[in-house]
Amino acid sequence: MTTTIVIVAVLALIVLFFVGGYNRLIRLNVSVDEAFSQIEVQLKRRSDLIPNLVETVKGYAAHEKSTLDAVVAARAKSTTATTVADVAAADGAVTQALRGLLAVTEAYPDLKASANFLSLQEELGTTENKVSFARQFYNDNVRALNQAVKTFPGTLFAGMAKVGAREFYVVDDPQNRQAPNVKF
Amino acid sequence: MSTINFRSLQRANQRKTVGLLAGMAVLITVVVYAVLTYFGKGGIGIVPIAFAVAMLMVWGSYYSSDTLVMTMTGAKVLDYDDNPKLFDLVQEMTIASGIQMPKVAVVEDSAPNAFATGRNENHAVIAFTTGILDVMDREELQGVIAHEMAHVKNRDTLVSAIAATTAGAIAMLSDMLMRVMWFTGSGRDRENNDNGGNPLAMIASLVVILLAPLAAVLLRSAISRRREALADATAVAFTRNPAGLRQALEVLQRDTTVVHQRSTAVAHVWIESPLDSSSVSKLFATHPPLEERIALLRQMEANPTTNQ
Repeated sequence: MTTTIVIVAVLALIVLFFVGGYNRLIRLNVSVDEAFSQIEVQLKRRSDLIPNLVETVKGYAAHEKSTLDAVVAARAKSTTATTVADVAAADGAVTQALRGLLAVTEAYPDLKASANFLSLQEELGTTENKVSFARQFYNDNVRALNQAVKTFPGTLFAGMAKVGAREFYVVDDPQNRQAPNVKF
Repeated sequence: MSTINFRSLQRANQRKTVGLLAGMAVLITVVVYAVLTYFGKGGIGIVPIAFAVAMLMVWGSYYSSDTLVMTMTGAKVLDYDDNPKLFDLVQEMTIASGIQMPKVAVVEDSAPNAFATGRNENHAVIAFTTGILDVMDREELQGVIAHEMAHVKNRDTLVSAIAATTAGAIAMLSDMLMRVMWFTGSGRDRENNDNGGNPLAMIASLVVILLAPLAAVLLRSAISRRREALADATAVAFTRNPAGLRQALEVLQRDTTVVHQRSTAVAHVWIESPLDSSSVSKLFATHPPLEERIALLRQMEANPTTNQ
């Protein structure tokens, strides 16, 4: 009688261990997906701000055509990216171009004083921060997943759950890796 | 500890919380044992009663902590248009922390302070005094918001409710037993006493029953301090910018005004204790000293690579 109970208990524990470990990997993998879609949401929001920004700057600094075109081109390219590496590269290019544009605006006091530009600047500032935090959150989730996949007992379930290590979101720009810090 | 970074600090504070909660469990066991020794089996019935009463009292305030604390502090919930910059900052932190957007509230008070409450992230409220919104710049405010969001993420309303329940039950138990002793005289005279022959055990039990409430309050304060330290470390995990929170704490340190509300009932919810530090000894403090928190954040700033 008691041996049956012990055997059943041990089997139940083993089943629980497997279910728990398997579910944990699945959960971690899903949260990486969610974190990535958060990056895309924020990138989309930034992308939507760009036409308005370009129009506003054009009103005051029409002859900065090359800088404006660079922003528009980078934005156009970013809409087609799908893989993590491509999205990250396109994201980096837009960030670069926007930084160039904002540097140019320094030379136009009228533009900098316009109410429209000021509110755009706040919106762009916070969106840029949100993009950075979304990247950071994604990378934290990838880190947790990769650690679980590569260590015991995660290694046991990785194959069964069809979950593997995922790619970090790396933007090729040393300035982007710093903590987001927009001042105004 | 080799290098100080937010990850090692998060782990250490989580571990210490578990240790302190285990200390609470040990304390309860000792008290129950003392009750058994002093009053015999007849006295043990009082233990579940004390726990039930404490649970009812704390559970009610835990469950409605969001509305309750808001009423007690007079906090008013804001909409996006009331303060877009504040909302933008909070939204940035929801992305960094992965939790839902909490309610954002403001308390009319010139003293800079902030708090977070609510039983879970769906009922979370983070509130700021008008004073803190006036004196802090964006980076500092971001550190404060991150600290409050860290409380939400770490379920600190729940942790403090658990600590309050056990401390409350022990206090009530001790109080009830004192009354019983007062009316019935020494337990030694009672017939159903198992340990009547051992005066040493009796005295030890009496001392335990007398001192247990004090020990429980000390443990509860220690847990609160660990959760504050943990929230600082978690805040850095969100912002990756220890300097922001450090500067914010320095602003609080320089500031001598204190939130008008001095109720001890809600003291633990604020980022800086509203109680006068001189009147509260360090052992009973709900927060670690500001100097200590600032020093730790400085150490994190000194290791920028380990904060990535």
